[in-house]
Amino acid sequence: MTKSNYKLTKEDFKQINRRSLFTFQLGWNYERMQGSGYLYTILPQLRKIYGDDTPELKEVMKTHTQFFNTSNFFNTIITGIDLAIEEKEGIGGKQTVSGLKAGMMGPFAAIGDSIFAALIPTIFGALAANMAINGNPTGIFIWIVAQIAVMIFRWKQLEFAYREGISLVTTMQHRLTALTDAATLLGVFMVGALVATMINVKFSWAPSIGDVTLNMQNNLDMILPRLLPAGIVGGVYWMLGKKNMTSTKAIFIVLVVCVALSALGVISK
Amino acid sequence: MDILWWQILLLTLYAGYQILDELQIYSSLSAPVFAGLFAGLVMGDLKAGLIIGGSMQLTVLGVGTFGGASKIDANSGTILATAFSVALGMNPEQAIAAIAVPVASLMIQLDILARFANTFFAHRIDKLVDEMNYKGIERNFLMGALPWSLSRMIPVFLALAFGGGLVEKVVAVLNGDLKWLGDGLSVAGAVLPAVGFAILLRYLPVKKHFPYLILGFTLTALLGTVFTNMQLLGTGVASVVKDFSGIFNALPMLAIALIGFALAAISYKNGQMIPNAPAPKKDDASNDSDEGEIEDDEI
Repeated sequence: MTKSNYKLTKEDFKQINRRSLFTFQLGWNYERMQGSGYLYTILPQLRKIYGDDTPELKEVMKTHTQFFNTSNFFNTIITGIDLAIEEKEGIGGKQTVSGLKAGMMGPFAAIGDSIFAALIPTIFGALAANMAINGNPTGIFIWIVAQIAVMIFRWKQLEFAYREGISLVTTMQHRLTALTDAATLLGVFMVGALVATMINVKFSWAPSIGDVTLNMQNNLDMILPRLLPAGIVGGVYWMLGKKNMTSTKAIFIVLVVCVALSALGVISK
Repeated sequence: MDILWWQILLLTLYAGYQILDELQIYSSLSAPVFAGLFAGLVMGDLKAGLIIGGSMQLTVLGVGTFGGASKIDANSGTILATAFSVALGMNPEQAIAAIAVPVASLMIQLDILARFANTFFAHRIDKLVDEMNYKGIERNFLMGALPWSLSRMIPVFLALAFGGGLVEKVVAVLNGDLKWLGDGLSVAGAVLPAVGFAILLRYLPVKKHFPYLILGFTLTALLGTVFTNMQLLGTGVASVVKDFSGIFNALPMLAIALIGFALAAISYKNGQMIPNAPAPKKDDASNDSDEGEIEDDEI
């Protein structure tokens, strides 16, 4: 019944962004994941929209503590669209908002995870790690600069989403797919490059057949340099495809196999 | 050399900070490679820290927190491995396999514990919503930081303060009676990044982009060999010719990344030229149903 007259200001956006950037996942738990975080980021704004101690506010607070989980790089896009609706429709928009949150958290989680949790750390992390292993910390600082750029992007998207509203979902989808596609291409390319540089292990096995000693590593190098690292990665990739295999198990299997092969004198650093 | 009290303090504080950074602002100060830089600086051996941090970074390259699954805690592993490696004079690569990896995977249990503990605060918030206690809601939400931080700080502190003796004995054995095991662990430390790469490939659409995987690998393998041999040659010549002044550096990875970036940009432009191509829809489906995807990273 109460249609709010409150309009969000620049200050409100700043407050939401601050809360999102510094605290969003503090309350993460198995039961409702980012539920309480979602409420916390917009609580002051909800109080302004619905007014303190009204039954509407209580109802809407309960709505926003429900299960929610998405990429913490895209959460404020959903927040922005949500607030645009609540500001216009008040408590009447409750159903729309719940549906919107449930419908968008999945897709945004997928895109956000693949770009911000997998690709950027891969590319910059690999650069930083590569330099670090050679004793040079510069790559770490390049990565920090890149993350600052990401933070600016995260800061800007809230107001953008608030202004565009619902229509944003459809317009963005196409561009994001093309971008994700290009980004995954770069990721795959970089993994190829990393396999060729970062796994420093070679065959030390040199069987003697009659008078001839077979230098395994040299023979392989003549076919293609770095064949052993490529084979190892291929093997682990295949192993990860098996049922009941987790990355942690895979790490330990590799550990044990390497120690065994090294003890037998097959491979060395 | 012992680990001094202020070193323990700084490393413990960082252990508590890094998880909050990773959950929220994600400034890359929570990356294993930075943990290595920080621990290396605190312990007074930057190089050891960078080697351990860099290797752990590569090992967990593909292990993001997808959908709230716990991942191995490479940061705590890096902190402890660096501290002990420097303090006890352990070979960094051995420290990766002998300390960093086991510690990192044990810490998964504590991550799970922290996530459970936070359920308690979520229920308090439910009650406070009923009472319309706004300050209480905010306070109880922010207290969620405690389980997160403490789940890292307590084990790191205990290990740094009391684990030294045990690790010292292990190091002595690895360099003495069990030399084969010590050497094996060093080799394992060098191979572990392979797991990181393989996990990453599981998450990326390899089948779709496989030509680029081959391209990236072959290009780098060939250039890498050329650069390494040049360096060897340079060192060899320098030792024979007195006033030889040529300096050869290793293959710059940034250059390789730029080639990859150019390829990605070309593909993006091509994708933009055909608007409303039916492709996107199909990709989504095939990505999701890719057989053998890792469902979660818990033990």
